[in-house]
Amino acid sequence: MEDRQALLAENIVKRFPGVVAVNNVTFELRYGEIHGLLGQNGAGKSTLLRVIYGVHKPDHGNIYIDGRKIVLKSPRDARMHGIALVHQEITVIPDLTVLENIALLGFSWNWLTSRFDYASFKEYIDRIMSRFRVELELSEKVRNLSAAERMLLQVVAALSINAKILLLDEPTSPLSLHEIERLFDVLNQLRKEGLATVFVTHRVNEAIDVCDRITILRNGEKIATVESRAIDVHTLIKLMLGREPEELYKVRTDKDVELVIGRYATEIPLIEMRNVSTQPQRAAEMPLKKINLKIYEGEVVAVFGFVGAGKTELGKALIGLTKISHGDFLYMGKRVKIKSPVDAVRYGIFYLPEDRKIEGIIPHFTVASNMDISSLNIVKRFGIFVDGARELRISLDMIKRLNIVTSSPYARITQLSGGNQQKVLVARAMLTKARLVIFDEPTVGIDVATKAEIRRLIFRYARERGVSSLVLTSDVDEALGLADRIYVMRDGEIIREYINRNVDRDEILKNLA
Amino acid sequence: MALKSSINSALAKFKHFYSSYELSRALVPLIVLIIASIAMSPQYFLNPMNIKVVLMQITPLALIATGEMPIILMGSIDLSPGSAQAATAMIAAILTRTTNNILLAIMAAVALGTLIGVINGVLVAKLRIYSFVATLAALVIWRSFVIIVSGGKLIYGLTQYAMFTQDFGTYIPIGFVLTVFIIIVVYVLLTRTVIGRYIYGLGSNEEAVRLAGVRADFVKFLAFTIAGTLYGLGGVMLIAMGGFAVDPWTARGNELNAIASCVLGGIMLTGGSGHPLGSLLGASMLTILTNILVLLGVTEIAVQQTVVGIVLIAAATALTRGLRYVK
Ligand SMILES: Nc1ncnc2c1ncn2[C@@H]1O[C@H](COP(=O)(O)OP(=O)(O)OP(=O)(O)O)[C@@H](O)[C@H]1O
Ligand SMILES: [Mg+2]
Repeated sequence: MEDRQALLAENIVKRFPGVVAVNNVTFELRYGEIHGLLGQNGAGKSTLLRVIYGVHKPDHGNIYIDGRKIVLKSPRDARMHGIALVHQEITVIPDLTVLENIALLGFSWNWLTSRFDYASFKEYIDRIMSRFRVELELSEKVRNLSAAERMLLQVVAALSINAKILLLDEPTSPLSLHEIERLFDVLNQLRKEGLATVFVTHRVNEAIDVCDRITILRNGEKIATVESRAIDVHTLIKLMLGREPEELYKVRTDKDVELVIGRYATEIPLIEMRNVSTQPQRAAEMPLKKINLKIYEGEVVAVFGFVGAGKTELGKALIGLTKISHGDFLYMGKRVKIKSPVDAVRYGIFYLPEDRKIEGIIPHFTVASNMDISSLNIVKRFGIFVDGARELRISLDMIKRLNIVTSSPYARITQLSGGNQQKVLVARAMLTKARLVIFDEPTVGIDVATKAEIRRLIFRYARERGVSSLVLTSDVDEALGLADRIYVMRDGEIIREYINRNVDRDEILKNLA
Repeated sequence: MALKSSINSALAKFKHFYSSYELSRALVPLIVLIIASIAMSPQYFLNPMNIKVVLMQITPLALIATGEMPIILMGSIDLSPGSAQAATAMIAAILTRTTNNILLAIMAAVALGTLIGVINGVLVAKLRIYSFVATLAALVIWRSFVIIVSGGKLIYGLTQYAMFTQDFGTYIPIGFVLTVFIIIVVYVLLTRTVIGRYIYGLGSNEEAVRLAGVRADFVKFLAFTIAGTLYGLGGVMLIAMGGFAVDPWTARGNELNAIASCVLGGIMLTGGSGHPLGSLLGASMLTILTNILVLLGVTEIAVQQTVVGIVLIAAATALTRGLRYVK
């Protein structure tokens, strides 16, 4: 491992109206290291990376590369200095091939003067991929790629412009376990080749496993940089929170399950699917095969499966967005047809999408209006008017209950950090007068403490108000910590069902091995 | 030094004001335009007769632009206002001629406008035809309708409509006052009601709004219908403010003036953003601009249109500055 300093961001301050997002942070990155950047939602991780990538101009502070001071006016400048940012929200063009997307993202030739030589570019990329042990089919359309492959595509694009410093903002959030391993193999290879990598994650174990050093941010300030060999999960979480963490995983006890078990034999489920199959309408859609599923009133049910198992398709089938070709959909024991989200709302079924940016947030709206868009019927006055005072009261209450970091309920949602946007969407779901709320990956991209908080809220909300919750998750601990019953899903099929009492974590995982 | 810093801080404050209030996108250039025109020739622009003429010209344009606005805010577009205005004006003219009952004529015009909106709404919301295509068809069809029902002839001398130009000594025509009143209703609709929320939401992220269980198709249908009603009123005002005559090619190209007014008024064509008074301010800008050109002796329509085009590009550039990308 080299020890030479790659980058030094010195006394960086970045303010936004109402918040100091990054407050006097000094961050050092060395060649040949993977440097973890951890902190709660809104701690300033993404902002720090964006400053280093030239997206935001810092209000104060300097950036040095290889000991030389540089001024970054734009991401273009940053790339010329060998810095590349990789994150989920970078757009790839689905109808182009992997190679074409790499060429576009890399943007490494002059459009006007040089001819794009397909064959030699392919050879060049092939060389890079074998050097860093990346496996990607270059002629595949990006539309058919998994989330992990898209991430790798961005890494290759960065390498194609000879980036020496890679900034990865939550690369593992949308990935399944073995996809994460695949990404880590590549990261380890990058480390061997002497590249410097910054790695943002909310998964503390993961950070300790792969990172050499870890920097912790809290409320925009740097708390510490530690050697990951010398730290344990508990201490790390304590540093992130600034206090002793509460119970993080179990939000319910086995006794809670006893209360519902008695009902399974006698009661009619709120929702039931009998032998439901679907025909995919789009290429990337996983067809559902003979799904049998029951959800009782006030029960928390988890569907656990890896990314791509068909959980989202199942969620969307429940609100009429995936067309059911065979089988029955029963509501309180009666056959019904739900053809659209509007129908679903009529039956009190609400779906909270997993893709926050495309299907979730309304970017021009404030935090408050994003929360109550699906529950304006309880915020209105005289039939059609939005009651501003009521809206303010409700949103303030939700901001407090979900611990949302925002300068005001009237801040634009796009000004919130990723995790806080997700919390606003969870608030949206909780505000509806639904009888069943489907949470699709509700805690992806959310910090450990808030994760527990949200799970607790989902659970309490189900028990106290009798609202059923269906949690679609790829996190086995989420399923185990939260649900009364767990369905395990793979390749569009439900392969096991567990009543969540004395269930063994490894036994559940074995189903998917 | 002190002066410089106080100027700087005033400038910073102005910048903050300018960027934080959507209305300022339109208000600032409008005020600049008004000041410029007054500076050019105070005796002409401040002449009450000229003010009245400008207000009369603004009236029909402001109405159709205000109809167009919610549609643009939704992220759709409507190309039919010009033809709709002509069709409703022609029906009103014919009925006024044949029955001499102006109230009936106006009601028929508004009803026809609403019908045009309903049809547009069904095409877009129910049949899921792109609004651009559906309303392009409407543009052509309703123009043909005008030509057929008018038999290609001009109808003139509809002096009954002079009542809308009355001003009771204030130089503010009644028709304009009515229009402002209607615009305030639309303003309240867009800012205070659930429908307004949904309209902005659809323009901002339709997918998210649909998943939230909103009856998006109904909202779209409603927006097109309301627009049609306003086009009908715009048709009536066209007779009143345009010389009490209607010819088969009347209001030709007004769809573009309506859209241009919205753009000048700071309504983003990408949807989701813009102040609901933008259409009125934009229509005023467009009218005052033409007024200045006339004063400068530019009477050639082609030259006027060129200048308007250039101003539009300037306005659109200012509007989209700082955006990552537009479509
Ligand atoms: N463009 C912006 N305008 C205003 N405030 C912003 C903007 N971007 C970020 N912020 C604020 O800066 C703070 C830090 O945000 P940042 O996105 O860096 O957090 P983060 O650590 O990446 O959080 P997460 O884990 O949720 O992604 C937050 O309070 C956020 O609301
Ligand atoms: Mg972030």
